[in-house]
This record gives sequence, C-alpha cells and structure tokens, in this order.
Amino acid sequence: MIQFKALLIKELKEAFRDKRALMVALSMGLLMPVFIMVFSKFAINEAVDNPPIYVKITGAEYAPKLMKSFTDNNILPFAEVPEDKKRQWDEYNVELIIPDNFANNLREGHPIDLTLRADYSEKSLNAPIRRIKDEVRQHSLSIGYKRLLVRGIDVKLLRPINLQEQDTSAPTSNAVIITLMLGLYLMMGAFVSGQSISVDSSAGERERNVLELLLCQPVKTYKIVLAKLICSSLIATISVTLMLSLTTVSVSFVDLAKIGATFSLDVSTFIALLMLLIPLCFLASSLQLFFAFQAKSFKEAQSTVAMLIMVPAMVPLAMMMMDNKPAWVEWAPISAQSILMEDLFKGLPVDWSALLVSTAATLALTAALVVGMSKRLKSEKVIMSLS
Amino acid sequence: MIEVHELHKTFKSKKQSVTALDGLSFQANDGEITGILGPNGAGKTTCLRTLYGLLAADQGYAKIDGVAVTENPLQARAKLGIFPDKFGLYERLTAYEQIDYFASLHGMHGEQKKQAIEKILTDLDMQELAHRKSAGFSQGQRMKVTLAQALVHQPQNFVLDEPTRGLDVMSTRVLRTYLNKFKEKGHCILFSSHVMQEVAALCDRVVIVANGKLAAQGTPQELCDLAGETLLEEAFVKLIGSDEGVAA
Repeated sequence: MIQFKALLIKELKEAFRDKRALMVALSMGLLMPVFIMVFSKFAINEAVDNPPIYVKITGAEYAPKLMKSFTDNNILPFAEVPEDKKRQWDEYNVELIIPDNFANNLREGHPIDLTLRADYSEKSLNAPIRRIKDEVRQHSLSIGYKRLLVRGIDVKLLRPINLQEQDTSAPTSNAVIITLMLGLYLMMGAFVSGQSISVDSSAGERERNVLELLLCQPVKTYKIVLAKLICSSLIATISVTLMLSLTTVSVSFVDLAKIGATFSLDVSTFIALLMLLIPLCFLASSLQLFFAFQAKSFKEAQSTVAMLIMVPAMVPLAMMMMDNKPAWVEWAPISAQSILMEDLFKGLPVDWSALLVSTAATLALTAALVVGMSKRLKSEKVIMSLS
Repeated sequence: MIEVHELHKTFKSKKQSVTALDGLSFQANDGEITGILGPNGAGKTTCLRTLYGLLAADQGYAKIDGVAVTENPLQARAKLGIFPDKFGLYERLTAYEQIDYFASLHGMHGEQKKQAIEKILTDLDMQELAHRKSAGFSQGQRMKVTLAQALVHQPQNFVLDEPTRGLDVMSTRVLRTYLNKFKEKGHCILFSSHVMQEVAALCDRVVIVANGKLAAQGTPQELCDLAGETLLEEAFVKLIGSDEGVAA
C-alpha cells in the first residue's frame, strides 16, 4: 500500500504540474460547452427564422400577385439585396423565370410553367429552395381552390384523406441537435482528455530513461500500471464532469422554447451520465496506455494513441447505420453507453440492468488490458527496447 | 554479496541469434568495491539486467545476499541500490520528492523515511538542492539525486553502471568519496566503468568480461602482473585479447 500510494502521488504530482498538458487535457471540457451553445443558437435561428431570400426573378411584372405573396414571406427580388450580402446571393444565383404569357394563360386556364434554377446540391440553399417551392405551390393551390369555388364545388373534395400527425416524443428529445452533439462530445471527451497524460507517463517516461529504473525497483508491475491508469482516468473524469456541468449552464443561454424543446440535466440524469462515462474514461486510458507502451518511440505512441479517437466517433456512427442491432451492442463497451446516453437524453428512465452490465463489461475489458500491460512490462522484449 | 554463476543468455530473433553471456561467473564481496571492465558488447549490461531481474538467464543464476533473482525478484531487488547507466530524473518533481518516492518504493514510511532522507541529503551535501525541481539540474546535481535515490534505503548491495560518464572532476570526487565511505561500512559495491584510472584508483577487485565470459579477475595489481604490464589499460587490452573497445 505504501508503494502504491507513492506511485499514485508521484503520477498525480507530475500530471498536475505539467500545466500545459493539463490545459490541453481540460480544454475539451472547457471549450465544448461554449461550442455547443454557439452552434445550437445558430442552428435554432436557421430552423425558426425566415431570413430574407434574394431571387433573380425574370418577368416579375407578369405576375404581380405572386410577387406580393413572395414579398409577404420574405422572398425578395435580387434588386433589393443589401450591399453586404450581394456577393453571397450573386454566387448562390437562384433564378425564377416567369414566362411573358403568364397572365394570358392564367386567364385562359392553361397550365403555366415557372422555372426555378439553382444549385440543388448546395446545402445552404436547401431551406431557401424549399420556401420558394412551398410558396409557389401555396399560391397555385389557392388559385385552384378559387376556380373550383366559383364553379360551386367544395374544395374538401380534393382532400379525401387527412393525416393527423401526433408527436409522442418527450419534450426533451426535441433538443436533438444538442443531445446528439453532447453525446458525441462526452464520449470524445472521455477518450481524448487523458491522452496526453497517458502518453507522457508511459512512452514519455521510457524516452526520459526513468522507466527502466522503476522496473528495477521491488514493485509489482500491476501497481505501476494501475497508478498510471488511475491518474490519467482521473484527468479524463474531471474533464468530462466539467463538460457536463458547463453544458448545463451554457445551454440555459439558448432559447430552446423557440423550437418547442426543453433541455435540462437534473441531478439523477447527471449522475447516471457520470456512471456511464467514468468506466469509459478508465477504458480509454487503459487503451491509451496499452498502445503507448507498445509503441517504439514517443512519436509513434502519440500517433497511435491519436488514432484511438476514431473509436468513440465511429461506434455511434456505425450503430446509426445498423438497422437490426444485434443483442451484444446493448452491453458491449462504448456501444452500450452510446445507446444508454441516447435514451437518457430522450428523457426515458435509466435502464439500470443494462447500465450495470455495460459497466461490468467495460471494467472487465479495462482489467484485461491492465493484466496484459503488467505482463508485458515484465517481458524481455519490452526490456530490450528500453535502450 | 553479489554472486553470478555460469550465466548463459542468448537473444534469438528470426534472422540471427546473439550470445550475450556465455557462462559468466564472478562474485562481488561485502566491504569491497568490485569493478566490471569489458569492451562494448561484452555483455556487461545484459549481466547487470539479469542481476536486476529484468532478464531471465537461459542457464546459471544470479544471487543477491543469497536470494536467487529469478526465483524471488522483488526480495532480491529490495537488497539492491541501482545507479543506472542512462539515469533520467522526474523533471517535475523536486529532488526531495524524488528521493522520497524511491524510499517509499522500498517500503519506508513515517519518521524512519524522513530521517533516512535527511541523512542522505546531509551525506551528499545537497540540502540546497532538495526543494528545487530537477528540471535544469547540472549533470553533477543529477548524479547526486540519482545516488541519493539509490541509497536512501541503505541497501547492502550497490550496483553502478558507468556512473562517472559525463561528470566533472568535482562530482567524480564526491562519488568516489561516498563509495569509499559506503564500502567501509561493509556494503558490497559493483561498479562498471570504461575509465581505467578510475577503476584502478577505486576498485579492490576487477572482473574483466569479454565475449560474455570471464576473461580474468583479481586486484588491479594482480591483473597487471598477470598480463606483464605496468598500466591497467595495457593489461586490459592484453587480457581481452584485442584492442577492441579501447576507443570507446
């Protein structure tokens, strides 16, 4: 116990005194909440507001009523674009062509072809194009209805079936943008935050020639590995906790009511999230240490460990792709936490048995990695690579 | 007492196999400084790593105070103080914390540990260094910290691997004085070096290793007599049978 305490205290002292590495480790926890706030504010504005759209309209004079309903919905002719947005909308180049026989055809009841030209693959044009299409359809329908009405036909005849949509999701699950991002960032936070500390305490120590001397001391290797593991997972845990608490604060600055959503992390959700994330921090740190000890140099360790970030990023993505999820994703490390987190964000009650099983699976994998590392630190191959 | 008996060690890879130790035997007694001399690649480092229990010998054994290293590595290491060839320090710890760390690793605690640290700091005259972080220490200061952390638990046996490399005269003298003091108290000191004057001046007995085997052993004078030379360096070259390693 004396030995373990000494090993742990030494690791903690080294980690907390390396201010720069510590800042890097905690930066994700500090910056992500701000990023989530800014991004979701932006996304909500996009979703809710009707920002002006500037369209290059040819033949506007032939359809004054259509122009009026455009103007009423903030779809404006290109001539009115303010100077600062001129370049942007000129590049977007959304064109609407109204034929000169518009009035004539309308009067005679012939179909009229309007042409909308734009780059449909441009993501930022999705909303403007949708709004223009809706507006034209609306205008066309209202003329059609009027035509039927004057002929004494009930317009209801045109709608034999009406679909009533009822959304059963809990209000919290509407904040999809935030929860999707937060879920991914929490996982990434668990995987990235301890990284610099893990690499420094394994490959770094070997490079600085202190590991060999440590291995010559009367200490069991599993104690050495455990001390390093606890230290870097502690840093990752601090970072994740910081991220969660700051996000709770930062999200309160976002007006979610605009999209009819609520987002709050109450104490029990907060605790459940931490219970999911802390084992992940341990797993991430043990993976980092494992690969860093395997690497031949500090540089190699850094690049190999950096690849590990793919794990938390790819697993949830792969799960999204899976239509029929096999049973093991419910308890396998990372995938299980990802599913459970999603449920928590949807406002569903915590599935405690799944949580316990996935935690046990994660910790078992961590333990296996610790045993593997302890064995490896005794192997001659590692000793020979020390110098 | 350190005892090495008939050590054999071969490193095998897919392409080749290298015999590092080929039946090396020697003994380092208590109250003596024993020097290991040998050209580069003679098997010194492999021998010392076997002694620390980091490598397992194919044949033969190494014993520290009668404890076989392979059978009981932790107990054997507890009787050992090690001054490694490439010594690194924990740059973010102070000298005191570093010595404290190694004392704790040897199971010391409480008042006993505190006193042991104070004693070694006084002995090596390094109180001024004690509470400074080791980043930026000179080579001599680093040597002192390494020496202090190796000896804080007052091990019966002390192994040094080329300790004077990169040290100035003053630091070498400090080391020499301390080793002599340690020897007088009855400790066993095993010392590997390339510097002949140093070995001649400091060691009571010299073990010459070449090609993983014992080439000769005895006091520096005995070795000179054996080779019929007046200088240890000449005797060394003659005894290992080539001038390989002298340039190192």
